[in-house]
Amino acid sequence: MLGSELLNIRLVDEFISQAAEAQACRAKSNRSEKERLKVLIVDDQRMIADTLAEILDQAGFRAIAAYDAWTALEVAAKERPEYLITDVLMPAMNGVDLAIAVTKMSRTTKILLFSGQTGIAKILHKAREEGYDFDLVAKPIHPEKVIERLKRL
Amino acid sequence: MKHEPEENSPAASHGPAQSVTDPASLLAAIVGSAEDAIISKDLNGLVTSWNEAANRIFGYTEREMVGQSILRLIPRELHSEEAEILRKIRAGEKIESYETTRIRKNGEAIAVSLTISPLRDPSGRIVGASKIARDISERRRGDDARTRLAAIVDSSDDAILSKNLQGIITSWNQAATRIFGYTAEEMVGQSILRLIPEELQYEEERILSAIRAGERIDHFETVRIRKDGERIEVSVTISPLKDGRGRVIGASKIARDISGRKQVERLLVQSEKLAATGRMAASIAHEINNPLESLMNLVYLARRSSSANDKAYGYLLTAEKEIERVSHIARQTLGYYRESRAAVDLHLSSLLEDVLSVYQSKLSAGGVAVDCRFEDSHISGANRGELVQVFSNIIANAIDAMPSGGTLHVHTYEVRSHEAGGIETLIRDEGMGIAQEHLKRIFEPFFTTKGDLGTGIGLWVAKQLVEKHGGQITITSSTERPKSGTSVSIFLPHVAFASGGGPDGDGEVKIQTGEARDAGK
Repeated sequence: MLGSELLNIRLVDEFISQAAEAQACRAKSNRSEKERLKVLIVDDQRMIADTLAEILDQAGFRAIAAYDAWTALEVAAKERPEYLITDVLMPAMNGVDLAIAVTKMSRTTKILLFSGQTGIAKILHKAREEGYDFDLVAKPIHPEKVIERLKRL
Repeated sequence: MKHEPEENSPAASHGPAQSVTDPASLLAAIVGSAEDAIISKDLNGLVTSWNEAANRIFGYTEREMVGQSILRLIPRELHSEEAEILRKIRAGEKIESYETTRIRKNGEAIAVSLTISPLRDPSGRIVGASKIARDISERRRGDDARTRLAAIVDSSDDAILSKNLQGIITSWNQAATRIFGYTAEEMVGQSILRLIPEELQYEEERILSAIRAGERIDHFETVRIRKDGERIEVSVTISPLKDGRGRVIGASKIARDISGRKQVERLLVQSEKLAATGRMAASIAHEINNPLESLMNLVYLARRSSSANDKAYGYLLTAEKEIERVSHIARQTLGYYRESRAAVDLHLSSLLEDVLSVYQSKLSAGGVAVDCRFEDSHISGANRGELVQVFSNIIANAIDAMPSGGTLHVHTYEVRSHEAGGIETLIRDEGMGIAQEHLKRIFEPFFTTKGDLGTGIGLWVAKQLVEKHGGQITITSSTERPKSGTSVSIFLPHVAFASGGGPDGDGEVKIQTGEARDAGK
């Protein structure tokens, strides 16, 4: 009857198929570490960065966690990740500025912002005025949806 | 008592009059001491006698006037009056208390009341007229002042009424009729208690004792009852009314209907509350969303590291779904505020599904089934948060209307009859319905049929927001069983104009549209 019930049923199906997919992916990645796509995860909430990194690792990515934008920038310069997932509101440097800096450094890095905060509209608007348009998801979001979004980037 | 023999003695006070013995002298003395001008004239209008009071009132002496035409006293534009007066006198008619204007020697116009009688010679032939003129300009001025005051009282927007010390109403102006619904005929002679709600009747005793003590009560805000039983908020100012000797004989009362002002005040408080709620939601969002994200990831990881045959796997899968549900609600409720200024394209069907999912537990707890039929295309320029608010309010009402279960019908369909076309959403419950007399007030702020459970703001807010989108909201209801229920129909144009998608809006849209897309998958 309702969207959420249908969603639940679909989720169970997805979980099963994706679990199998991840298993296969891990098997493949074991063969070649270098074939795995690198994803840099940045969140000042360490728990979120760490858990998401582990989840993405299991899903076949090579995930690196960072807890602030400056460290993330150093990692990005060294690792040249294919993906960047970053929180928006963080101390010292926000996720949008980080995303802009990473884009300038490496045009091929695909970026996904995620935020559980209100009040980030101004930051995004400023970025858009400068010509940077990033995809954004709202926290809390199911980790498999993050994976899905990454694959669609 | 003071004894004043000299003054009380008839000899002392009426001494000179007593010396007048013959009737002619007596008459002359009376005429001479009269307060009113006493004049006689012949049939040609020439003055033949002129007393002392005439001198005082008109300013001319006897010598100046006797033998002169009476027209000298009459304003030029009223000269025709004299011919008419003379005609009546010749016909033997008397003219009584005729109010007109005359001119004093100094040119000043004065209001006079004239009594003119024919004068006859001993044979009964009419030879002239006697004229008694009373200066009524003072009275006129008093009358004018009274008329003006009455006009002011009557044209006042405030109810102005007076009452005696027993609380019986003695006067009642037009505004009082407008504000309280009673006419002057209905209220004069009645107790003021008729206007006072039962629980506030003690006020009147206090008011009366203050008034008896000569005190004034300023801008006292209270509640009164109209003839139709409706309560209105009024601000009253009550002052003691005193007689010529300064004794308090009653009170004048000016009452202003302040229901409108009070309503605005409450609205301000309400919107301040809403703003505070919004600020709170924003700060809670951060505190709730981050731990929820961590929790979701941890449970996911825990499930992934347990074997699919393990009991724990099932528990964790359930936990994950529950967290997903909480997350969805968090995004919904804490989401209204963050997208407050965005104008987006959206599908009403997916929006309605989201709203319904928020009410999922309430629906199943209340035994309410949902019948959805969606046949709509997208609309653009809409503010998602605001529309979520609109449909949430209406759906919450519909659920509240069916405490013993029923079916909630939610239909959307395209409408082409309107100028630009749009989408009609029909939300119908099978509840008890709304009484006709309540229905016409249903969109008024603070009007509620839910008693303490309602705020009376839901439908009002819904109407404001729908109209902001260039749409219309209408409501029909029937209380007749078994087909009772309420239908709310909302028309939204395909191109809504809830714009204002300024800097604060744009970025936020993506969060929500992205989420909506995910949730609908």
